[in-house]
Amino acid sequence: MSSLSALVDKELRTLFQAPIAWIIIGVFLALMGYSFTLTLFNNRYATLVHIFFQVAGLLLLIVPIITMRLLAEERRAGTLELLLTAPVKEIQLVLAKYLASMAVVLLMIGLTAAYAVVLGLYGTPEWGPIYSGYLGLALLASTLVSLGLAVSALTSNQVIAAIVTIGVSFLLWMVDTLAAMLPDALERVLISLSLLARFTPFATGAMYASDAGFFISTTLLALFIAMRALARR
Amino acid sequence: MTDSDVPPVVRVEHLTKYYGARCAVSDVSFDMQPGEVMGLLGPNGSGKSTILRILTGYLQPTSGGAQVCGFDVVTQSLQARRCVGYVPEDVPLYAQMRVHEFLTFMGRLRGLEGAACARAIDEVVERLSFGPYRHQLIGKLSRGYRQRVAIAQALLGRPKLLILDEPTNGLDPRQIIEVRELILALASDMAVLVTSHILVEVERVAHRVAILLDGRLLAVQALADSRMGLEELFLALTEGEKQ
Repeated sequence: MSSLSALVDKELRTLFQAPIAWIIIGVFLALMGYSFTLTLFNNRYATLVHIFFQVAGLLLLIVPIITMRLLAEERRAGTLELLLTAPVKEIQLVLAKYLASMAVVLLMIGLTAAYAVVLGLYGTPEWGPIYSGYLGLALLASTLVSLGLAVSALTSNQVIAAIVTIGVSFLLWMVDTLAAMLPDALERVLISLSLLARFTPFATGAMYASDAGFFISTTLLALFIAMRALARR
Repeated sequence: MTDSDVPPVVRVEHLTKYYGARCAVSDVSFDMQPGEVMGLLGPNGSGKSTILRILTGYLQPTSGGAQVCGFDVVTQSLQARRCVGYVPEDVPLYAQMRVHEFLTFMGRLRGLEGAACARAIDEVVERLSFGPYRHQLIGKLSRGYRQRVAIAQALLGRPKLLILDEPTNGLDPRQIIEVRELILALASDMAVLVTSHILVEVERVAHRVAILLDGRLLAVQALADSRMGLEELFLALTEGEKQ
């Protein structure tokens, strides 16, 4: 536990000491604030459904920027050797990187809860879809962070890590658009792999255990791949 | 108790490592006793760093095995790593961290917490004489002080084995002398395994040398027993191999 907390502390410090985390959070909140205000004044509906889809879309771009350096930079700088020759397990290193990145992303998502507070103060929103939307965002973020971590474990180049993670994330997001062109069996597989199809029920107020299970199992699979990539040296 | 009764700090048996089709280390065996300074000597690419990386658990051998303080480096890797302090060749450190932050981080990885960690850091800072620099950013330190910080992190938790990969690379003559004196001073508390391709460096600190060429161990020689100097011995062995 001591090693894990030391690694998480170090990751959080690295993320927040560099200006990049603050810039990402600032830009993200500015865009979301603009969108929330504009939509609220135009539609006058006390809902956050559109915000949830916009946040999800931005996460596809932002999470790879946060995760690209996680292991790729350690590998490039040689500090991975320092960490893995200390009494640290690969799983502790991977978990620490995952937890610290999730903390940043959840902070970013959590700050948008101010919009829900505004809706609560000046309107009568349905709270169920708001809770499920935030849960959906947290689960989606978990899958994207672990995917970015796995890609970062496979290369020593941060830019490659970011580009590949963005590519894979977007492909998984919209893979169901291909489904209509394929036979039934493949159609079902592609829809079941689609991040958009899995996220939509959460954003609109429906929660299914199968969707939550999908996000949790993809997270575990990606963390396992990251761990194996570290062990293969 | 005779020397042969003392359990070795390091036991390497028939160690072999391939990178793809290329053999980096071939059937290497040697032991190290507590308090011993051993030099791994050989030209670049002779397999020195690969052996160190296997002993520190960073790489796995293709065949053969190694033990550190009685722990197998593959099956009991975590326990073995708790006995080892390691300074890699290029002194990889976190440039954006301050020295004390880095040492606290590495101390915590070795299981040191709170006051015990602070005491251990004070001890290594004093031993390596870089007190005035403990609040500096590592990225702003000279190569010599970076080397000291790297050695300091390796000494946290009082390892039984200190492994230094090319510790004098890039240092000026004064710093080389300081590292040499430090190795000799540390040998009273722990075994030290040091690599170098500079003969004189190894000759001045090591009790025994293991000479490697193309991944093969040519000889393990106690320097006190050798009638010829290390340079002559090295040339005799390596020239003999070439012929």
